[in-house]
Amino acid sequence: MSATKDKSKVHKLSLKGSSKLVAEFFEYSINSILFQRAVYPPEDFTTVKKYGLNMLITADDQVKAYIRKIMSQLNKWMMGGKISKLVVVITDKETGEHVERWQFDVQIFGKQSKSQRSRASGDKENPSPENADPQTPVEKTEKEIQEEIQAIFRQITASVTFLPVLDGDCTFNVLVYADADSEVPVEWGDSDAKEIKNAEKVQLRSFSTNNHRVETLVSYRLAD
Amino acid sequence: MATPTVSTPVKTHHGIFSSKTAGGRMPLTPSPRRRAGSITSNHSSPFTPPRQVEGSKEHGKSVYGGNLSSYFAKSMSRTTRNYRESPKSNIARIRKSPRHLELGVSEWALAGTGPSSAQSPSKERLRKDVTTRTTRSGKTTVRIAHNAGDRFIPNRTASEGLTTAGTAKPEENQRSKASGNEGSTVLANAASAFDIGGRGTEDDITAALENLGIEDNETASTSSSSSYSRPAPDAVAYESSLADACGVNLNTRILAFKPPPPESSKPIDLRAQYNRPLRPAKSKSAQFRRRVQTAPERVLDAPGLLDDYYLNLLDWSSSNQVAIGLERSVYVWSADTGSVSCLLETSPDTYISSVKWSGDGAYVGVGLGTGEVQIWDVEEGTKLRSMFGHDSRVGVMGWSKHTLSTGARSGLVFNHDVRIAQHKVAELVSHTSEVCGLEWRPDGAQLATGGNDNLVNIWDARSLSAPKFTKTNHRAAVKALSWCPWQLNLLATGGGSYDRHIHFWNTTTGARTNSIDTGSQVTSLRWSNHYREIVSSSGFPDNSLSIWSYPTLVRNIEIPAHETRVLHSCLSPDGQLLATAAADESLKFWKVFERKQGTSASASREGGVGSKAQMTKSMTIR
Repeated sequence: MSATKDKSKVHKLSLKGSSKLVAEFFEYSINSILFQRAVYPPEDFTTVKKYGLNMLITADDQVKAYIRKIMSQLNKWMMGGKISKLVVVITDKETGEHVERWQFDVQIFGKQSKSQRSRASGDKENPSPENADPQTPVEKTEKEIQEEIQAIFRQITASVTFLPVLDGDCTFNVLVYADADSEVPVEWGDSDAKEIKNAEKVQLRSFSTNNHRVETLVSYRLAD
Repeated sequence: MATPTVSTPVKTHHGIFSSKTAGGRMPLTPSPRRRAGSITSNHSSPFTPPRQVEGSKEHGKSVYGGNLSSYFAKSMSRTTRNYRESPKSNIARIRKSPRHLELGVSEWALAGTGPSSAQSPSKERLRKDVTTRTTRSGKTTVRIAHNAGDRFIPNRTASEGLTTAGTAKPEENQRSKASGNEGSTVLANAASAFDIGGRGTEDDITAALENLGIEDNETASTSSSSSYSRPAPDAVAYESSLADACGVNLNTRILAFKPPPPESSKPIDLRAQYNRPLRPAKSKSAQFRRRVQTAPERVLDAPGLLDDYYLNLLDWSSSNQVAIGLERSVYVWSADTGSVSCLLETSPDTYISSVKWSGDGAYVGVGLGTGEVQIWDVEEGTKLRSMFGHDSRVGVMGWSKHTLSTGARSGLVFNHDVRIAQHKVAELVSHTSEVCGLEWRPDGAQLATGGNDNLVNIWDARSLSAPKFTKTNHRAAVKALSWCPWQLNLLATGGGSYDRHIHFWNTTTGARTNSIDTGSQVTSLRWSNHYREIVSSSGFPDNSLSIWSYPTLVRNIEIPAHETRVLHSCLSPDGQLLATAAADESLKFWKVFERKQGTSASASREGGVGSKAQMTKSMTIR
């Protein structure tokens, strides 16, 4: 009896931990993007060791506070499993045009399979391997997860080699694809997807915990 | 295999899919620009199964065998017949490969005459491939192609259908036919997804949907049912993922964090960031690259040199003479001429424990094991005076003008005014164990002493009753002391075997400014007059010379100098050569701070410019 109780407890914690890990990943992603895409000057960033990498995080108090505000809400949503996407949109300040869009798709394994079944059950009798995959998450060690995350950040860093150079002043926005029934604080409001017209898209690596899977996609405006 | 007209689209095709779908093995280079021209993309991340895409591509290639133009030509002429016979051959053509090619040729008529023939060859190819297996009395080319393409459509729509949204209406229509009614529902879902995802495309989508509805009515009865009877697993996968995507979208809101992000403190040029040097470029990089000879310039025998860390038996005068104490004798080696003379020999009951040239290079102070201190006129070869006071051996001495400071084994340091009879002018009491390091600051304002009690004392010349600072950081005897020539209040001190550290002190404030763990006993330290560097000599285990940059503390070079520990070192008056004496009874000269020709940076350093030039010359002659 106690054993089962323990088990459920462990599971609960791991879900929570997984949410935390994903949220943390978002925080570092936002910081990395802000640095790599020069939304803020490089001297505003300091290096910290994380995921076995030197991660750059902003040292600017205002930006820090801004990201902290986003993260505090994001953490709540993550814990509640309300989020399906996080998007960082980089916008040209002068033209207001969206020039780059970093999208992180979040799948929550339990939830995902449920919705899948309800959605698509009538159509097919045998789910393809792609569908089956998220339903049977492989147990991963923290190290494996960290290595996957590491690979993503390496890719984000390396992406400057193919992403077009951003001219001029850019600013950024954070979008969240949240469930319709989520609680929404006043700072957050409905928005369009801020898609990029004529975008080239590059799928980056993904990582998964035992409860979440996060896929990364960058879309950018093609140079014309 | 393909003709030039065809080959380009093939590449394009490949580029599209690979750029979008490769997932984990995604190459980082973006796909060719071409794609944007053919497809207007308003949407993101279709769940395209990459493997299927590749399959379709290969298939397309293999079927039509490459000669597109001939296909076109032939098909044009056969159009009518082709229409008629196609429905019957539907299944057979899928199965029978021998007839494949021939049929393919005829089928191309459909593609060629169709309204959408303007589309890229890659699509035609696919369509053709498709028509070879499912033919029916299609009304338009477009329709036939896509009816036939049931196996492939999911792949293509997965990538293109989604991304194109409503903008490429013909494709939407085709797609709907391809998968029949089912397909249209999928599309409807997709459209609704677009509706949410990209509002800009709403109108297009509705239009597309209307088209779909009409077309479906027309085609579903004629053809679609049969073609849809065998949906490939890929199609299932695609549909489920698409439906799933739609479902998610329907239930979600896009929320933006509304407060504007803080303004960037200044405009940033991304390019400048990429070109940022890793560390600020300073003059030191050039110094790093300077070459240091790792072989000694000259090696002299020093037989009988006592292997005693606490003694100071080597000194180089400003008049370019090297004095060395070897057991009971002091020898003077003239660097100008290379001649050696024995200056003195002590009585058999004692030994030389220290030698030190006066500032002008005319006299040498000699400390003896008995505690006696002698002053010799080198030119005359005569002893000027003996000064007594210490009751134990005098291991270290230092001149400041007419003042000779002597440190003894007792821990006492005396200042002697060599001009007057009552020579002892000060007694510096602090060390409790043998004093083995003693160095006056060049301006004579401060005196640093180090002892076997692990202390470094810094004395103010004006008040010698107590040390200005006593530093306890070293954990072993401190013999190595050196004042920085370009920053008066900077002192470097090195500790013995158990310490192995070089500490740098601000002697004004008493603060330790830097430290190096050298990894071996520090037996001596010498600042360069010319470079922002300091050379340290090591005892066990390295027996080497190390040149350190200051203040970066980077070890520029390590020279394995001697076979046993380096006991003493001194710089030549021009600051270029370092003489080292080691327990292996050799005296070696190293060109550690060699100056480039024509530099006069050291002109202001100790010693006159003229004499220095002369010395440099003489040393090369030697």
